[in-house]
This record gives sequence, structure tokens and C-alpha cells, in this order.
Amino acid sequence: MLKKYIGIYMECIKISISTALTYRLNFLLDNFIALLSNIFFPLVTLLIYGSGAEFPNWSLYEVLLIQAVFTMSTGIANILFNGVLWATMRHIIEGSLEIVLIKPVGCLFFLTASTVDFSGAGLILGGAVLFAVALSHAGPVSILMVLQFLILFISGVFVMMGISFIMAATSFKWVGNSRLPEIFDSIKYFGRYPQNIFHKAISGFTSFIIPVAMIGYFPAAALLGEADGTAFIAIIPCLLFAMAGVLLFRHMIRLYEGVGG
Amino acid sequence: MNYLAKKFKVVKAVALVTYKEWSAYRTHSMVSIFVGPVYFIVQYFIWSAVYSGRASLNGMELSQMLTYFGVTTLIGYLTMDFADWNLQMLVRTGKFLTFALRPIHHRFFALSQKIGHRILGFIFEFLPCLFIFVFIFKINLRPASYGWAIISVALAFLMNLYLNYTIGMTAFWLVQATGVRRVYLLLQGIFSGGLIPLVFFPPAIQKLLLLLPFQYVSYVPAMVFIGSYTLAGVSMPIPHIVGLQAAAVAATALFSEYIYRLSMKRFTGVGA
Repeated sequence: MLKKYIGIYMECIKISISTALTYRLNFLLDNFIALLSNIFFPLVTLLIYGSGAEFPNWSLYEVLLIQAVFTMSTGIANILFNGVLWATMRHIIEGSLEIVLIKPVGCLFFLTASTVDFSGAGLILGGAVLFAVALSHAGPVSILMVLQFLILFISGVFVMMGISFIMAATSFKWVGNSRLPEIFDSIKYFGRYPQNIFHKAISGFTSFIIPVAMIGYFPAAALLGEADGTAFIAIIPCLLFAMAGVLLFRHMIRLYEGVGG
Repeated sequence: MNYLAKKFKVVKAVALVTYKEWSAYRTHSMVSIFVGPVYFIVQYFIWSAVYSGRASLNGMELSQMLTYFGVTTLIGYLTMDFADWNLQMLVRTGKFLTFALRPIHHRFFALSQKIGHRILGFIFEFLPCLFIFVFIFKINLRPASYGWAIISVALAFLMNLYLNYTIGMTAFWLVQATGVRRVYLLLQGIFSGGLIPLVFFPPAIQKLLLLLPFQYVSYVPAMVFIGSYTLAGVSMPIPHIVGLQAAAVAATALFSEYIYRLSMKRFTGVGA
């Protein structure tokens, strides 16, 4: 069973790469624009520090490290999960979800696998460059810190997955609303900055309810040697959040009614 | 006089139809009631942290900074525009032909549509967020001068349309011009002052921004609202900067018309 699913996923990745190679210019342009937008991503931080101000107790490169990790996580999520919302929305609007439902694989798995899209790879590349620059100014990093970073970073990717699936599930009821991502983008915005600048109630919310702090802040804090117990406890809500996304999507599938197909 | 009355009838009819059409999707607009305040909360904490121990930064106090972000958010709801996307879609799908045959300039039609669409934005985005900013966040959103603020926002409304429409016309040459549009929107988002007040940019970039049209979309109306304008070390009284904004809008309108005429020479279509 697992072998079958892995086989299908690998096949979908091959198709995605083939598609990208067919429309090479479009693929390169998309990646170039993603890279360009990435250059401007930490602009506010650079301008704040450039004007002589700062976030208390945070150096420029420490804040940039948070934003680099956030960018890489966003890039990975864009490749792996972002297409689920738009594919689900399109199927619901066109009434073609039945065609997906009659396939002999899970609906959510098929939508996720068939929408893998490498046009956001520039975001990972840009994030990685920023990450390398910021990390080179961050001080010595031990192997333990790297391991902590990897665990927290993967947890952050789970949060991104949960967000994508919850948005896709919402599109069953809020049909055709292309502004759905804006809602979660605004919440994710909290994850781009040091959490100690926010009110405790907000940082509690961003750590344990919708754990967007795990997308950028906690993994970066691990590399800076500042990951405390909160960061590791927050792994649990991250996994629960991803699971909630899967369960909500399945629930919406059960509620879905269609004719024809 | 008859000419103006006829134009007004067209604006009224198109705006009303657009308003009714988009009213069906009013909950889409209402997303802003959540998104706008959430972004504002983030900005509040960012700038409260940055200003800790400082009275002013680049000539702006914390209260002015918060007003700036509140005002730019609200101005965004009044001036939001997607004429570029719409025009590109019409050109790419060939539907522009039906507009080219009509006895009305398509840009005027787009302007009328925008008026209807933004009336909806005024009701479902601007007013709810205004109440949230004033009564919950306690932000001072009284303009320094109501008259100049309204004129400046109206000019920003037109500027955004003319700029976006001009970008949209690249589709007459490129057909699929989404890349150009994305780059433009990225630049406009940064250099219009929506992300951060333009006085935070390095002096050389500020001087360049003085010559570009982006500041007239967001930064200028926000600073007119606050009551003082400075960029690249150049300070201007409010009537002067609004006058300059009006001149920039007129120049952009003329440029847009010039590109439109070139586009019409280039455009070919069959069937209707």
C-alpha cells in the first residue's frame, strides 16, 4: 500500500518536472520573480536596522535568520502543498471533484501529489542564500543545535501543510474565494519576527494554537542556542495542527455532494 | 453640459452594475475586516519594539507611524485596482474586441467599473476597518485637513488606475504579460510606501523615488492625511505636494492615452 503511494507520488513529481521543462521560459521567469520577491522579503528589517533602530536584544543577522528560515519553509510548502487549495477550489467550482473521488487513491493524497509545483524553487534558493549569510554572523553552531533546528524546521513544514489543508477544506464551503490565503498569510506574518516583541497572549497563540512561530522563529532560535522548553513543547500542537488539516479535509469530503461526474 | 451629463449617466450605470455584480461576492471583500486589523496588530508590536527608548525615528513619532499604517491600509481599500489584470484577460481571450467596438473609451469604462467596485470596498472594507482602528485600537484617524486628504485620496485613486491600466496595455504586445504585472506589483508594493514609510529608504533611493510615480499611490496621500510631507530631505507644504500629485496624475493620464493609441494601432480582431 505504502509502496503504491510512494510510486504514485514519484510519478507525479516526474510529471511536474516534465511540465516545468516543457514551459522552460515560464518556469525560469516564475523562479526569477520568486527570487526577486525574496530579495525584498527582509526589506523592512534591513531598513529598520539601517536607520539605526533595532528590535531590543536582537541583532540584524539574528532577525534575518528567522526570516531566512521562514522563507525556506514557505518555499518548501509552495512546492509541496500550495496547489491543493487551488486544485480543490477549481474542482468544486467546475463540479469535477467526482472524477478525483472515483480514483483508487485517497482524494487528499491525489490532490497533493498531482499539484507538486517547482515554480517556487527560487524561494528556497533565495532563502538558503539569506540563511547562509545570516548564519555566518550568528556565532558557532553545534551538531546538537543543528539537530534541534532540523526537528523544529520539519515541525514548521507540518504547520504549513496544516494551513494548506485547512484552506482547501474551507474552500468546500466558501466557494471560489481567492482571498482565502490572505487570512492565513496575515496570521503567518507573526512568525517572521522575534516572538518576544509580541504580547504574551499573542505569542501563546502563535506557539500553541496556530503555531506559526514554528515556521521561522523556533528553528532559528535553536541555531542561536536560544530554543527553550516552549519550542519543543510546541512540536505537539504543530503535529496536531497538521492532523486537524487532514481530518477537516476528510470531513468536508464526506459532506460534499455532487451529481454527474 | 450635455456631454458631461451623458458621461455621468454612463459612469452611474456601469458603476451600479459593477456594484451589483460584486455584491454577490461581498464576503470576499469582508476578508479585509480580518486581514487588515491582523496586519495592523503585527505592525503595532513591531514598531512599539523598534521605538522602545526612542521618541522619533526618521522624523516620525510612534503615534504618527501607527497612524501612517492605519491610513495606508484604509487608503488601499479606497484605491485598490485590478484594471491591469482585467485588460490583460480581455486582450488574451480576444474579448477586448467587443469593447473596442463600443462608443466609449475602454479606460473610461474601467474607471466607471472601479468606482462601483470601490463603493463596495468602502462599505465592506473601509468602514468596518475604520471603526476597528478608531474604537478598538484607538488610532487617531482625523486628517490634518479633510479637504486636502479627500483630494489626495481621489488623485491616488486615479493614479493607481492609470498606472495599472498602462501596465495592462503591455498585453497588446506580450499577450501573456503576467510576469510584467507581477514585477510591477512587487515594485509598486515596496516603493509606494505601503510596506514602510519611504523616509526609511537610503537617501539615494529616496531621491530616485521623488522622480517615480509610485509615491503618489500611497505615501503622498498618507502624508497629506498626517499633515506633513518629507522625502529625500525635501519638505513641502500640503497644497504644493497635492498640486504636484495632480500634475503627476495628469502626466500619467496623457502617457496612458499615448500608449492606448499605439495599442489600438496594433490591435487586430475578428468576429464579435
